[in-house]
Amino acid sequence: MKSIFLNYLNSMSSFFWITAIIMIITISIVVFSEAYGLNFVSTSFVKILGKTLCLCIVALAMDLVWGYCGILSLGHFAFFGLGGYMIGMWLMFERTKSIVIESTQNNILPLTHNEINEAIGTQIFGVVGGAEIPMIWIFADTLSIHLLLVLFVPGILAFIFGWLAFRSRVNGVYLSILTQAMTLGLSLYLFQNDSGLRGNNGLSGLQNIPNFDNITQAELSIWFLIASSLTLVVTYFICNLVVKSKLGNVIKGIRDNETRIRFLGYKVESYKLFVFVITAIISGIAGALYYPQAGIINPAELAPIASIYLAVWVAIGGRGSLYGAVIGAAFVSLSSSYFTGGQIPNINFGIFTLKWVDWWVVILGLSFVITTLYAPKGIGGLVEIMFRKKQL
Amino acid sequence: MSVLLEVNGINVTFDGFKAINNLSLSISNNELRAIIGPNGAGKTTFMDIVTGKTKPDSGTILWGQKNSSLLRMNEAQIVELGISRKFQKPTLIETQTVFENLLLSLKKSRNPIATLFYKMSPDDEKEITNIAVEVNLIENIGSLAGQLSHGQKQWLEIGMLLAQKPNLLLIDEPAAGMTSPERKKTVKLLKKLSKNQSIVVVEHDMEFVKSLECRVTVLHEGTVIAEGSLDHVSQNEKVIDVYLGR
Repeated sequence: MKSIFLNYLNSMSSFFWITAIIMIITISIVVFSEAYGLNFVSTSFVKILGKTLCLCIVALAMDLVWGYCGILSLGHFAFFGLGGYMIGMWLMFERTKSIVIESTQNNILPLTHNEINEAIGTQIFGVVGGAEIPMIWIFADTLSIHLLLVLFVPGILAFIFGWLAFRSRVNGVYLSILTQAMTLGLSLYLFQNDSGLRGNNGLSGLQNIPNFDNITQAELSIWFLIASSLTLVVTYFICNLVVKSKLGNVIKGIRDNETRIRFLGYKVESYKLFVFVITAIISGIAGALYYPQAGIINPAELAPIASIYLAVWVAIGGRGSLYGAVIGAAFVSLSSSYFTGGQIPNINFGIFTLKWVDWWVVILGLSFVITTLYAPKGIGGLVEIMFRKKQL
Repeated sequence: MSVLLEVNGINVTFDGFKAINNLSLSISNNELRAIIGPNGAGKTTFMDIVTGKTKPDSGTILWGQKNSSLLRMNEAQIVELGISRKFQKPTLIETQTVFENLLLSLKKSRNPIATLFYKMSPDDEKEITNIAVEVNLIENIGSLAGQLSHGQKQWLEIGMLLAQKPNLLLIDEPAAGMTSPERKKTVKLLKKLSKNQSIVVVEHDMEFVKSLECRVTVLHEGTVIAEGSLDHVSQNEKVIDVYLGR
């Protein structure tokens, strides 16, 4: 009995560590803000932290699909973006509606329903030369439906795409190319002005939450930080359960020897589809939390390069270990915003100036090559080695 | 004895090369059968066809009492009927332990949701232990399958077949890489198993086939050229010409 408990604790240990770290960061920021006022920790820093946690969530999804199931999907940021678009539609519609109603409060006659919709249409779609509200915005005034869409739109897209791809037994690099094509196709479609989602302008003003106008951005950012860290902890818990279950053994088996699993009688396609859809939904949730903190989403977010970055984070962090994915996403995206945020001065060598904004990509590329060559299990693998040494 | 598997007039062509040529073969319930033949005779292709890995151009494959056709089923459905296969090269999940390999093979629901919520019962654990004892791997039950010796890997794969409780075992070259005591044990194990299920063994090693003391089918260029006891087929002129040599 005791050994079963110890095994359970052991299988959960990385979960406890990650939870502890995330909770300490979140709680200390909340406490400091309460104690010393909201501006003690700068709002932009809180937002960066909150966004980073969302990226950790999507990295967990990527690790599950790639690190554990062996499907190198280079399209998971499409699901992330779709989650963002789905919540963004509600945010933008409701916010515009309240602005329209507010601006006409002094009118003698209140606006009719049609007049309100017309005004909203002009406000939102003026930039793409339209005033009509497209069909796909039909539920934009209902939060509950859009929260469901955050789950279902990425989920259904992943289901259709995965069903077609896995049923035809598309594998390896061919599947990666297909997923790239999917995210590129989606991004190009959204770039069009008549896609109904404001073309290249994307959706903006998402940081303003409707009906919460009296709450400052500083406070909102802290609420989002708390929400993001709770979601990350819950996602980590679920992913941990999945990889420690028998299903975890099956998907790792698919990664290492697909033929054996198939001839043991498992329908490999169903398992791949299951993991693909679940991770797409997780990515959608992460996106829905990320973009209200970023404030804007446009089709460039769904560009193929974004999904490749995601794979790089997981590779550097260590695929095949959940904490590796979290560490990788946090480490690389925080370094990225450090190097490209203009915080460190450029170095002038006389004949040429070292601009960190440009050279960051080189550093990232080099570290990707170095991890692949010398630490195939990434930062997570190094952590493992350190702990093993301590135990010996 | 009733017929378990009946293969009738199967033809398979790979890029113009006729791998299987009008092959007909039937396996009875609880029969131990050896298939021998020179390289390229179609022995492994025969197993590929039965397990659904390769689709034949023509012919029929009927299974069991109900005479259900295997041709329209996928690999997983065929396994569900009770046909399990050991590959020529040991095919295991090398990154998982012997225990986990056996756990994956146990006859349980293969549905993703059921697997996600699967909880191991004491009975399952006992069953896995019993199988590990049977295939001599109880001491290695916690080690990774990739760390086993070649002979042990062959046994683990046989153990994984046992865990599935199949009606028909297709075993491709079980003796490869085994020492002579290991071979003896394998023969004993196969003979014991054939009391409860049908087994088809593909093997090159004539000594091994002889010790199985069973009916032998000789394949050549994708077709059956002789069938009967080993003594009977080894006197067949054609068999001597193409396989045994004079």
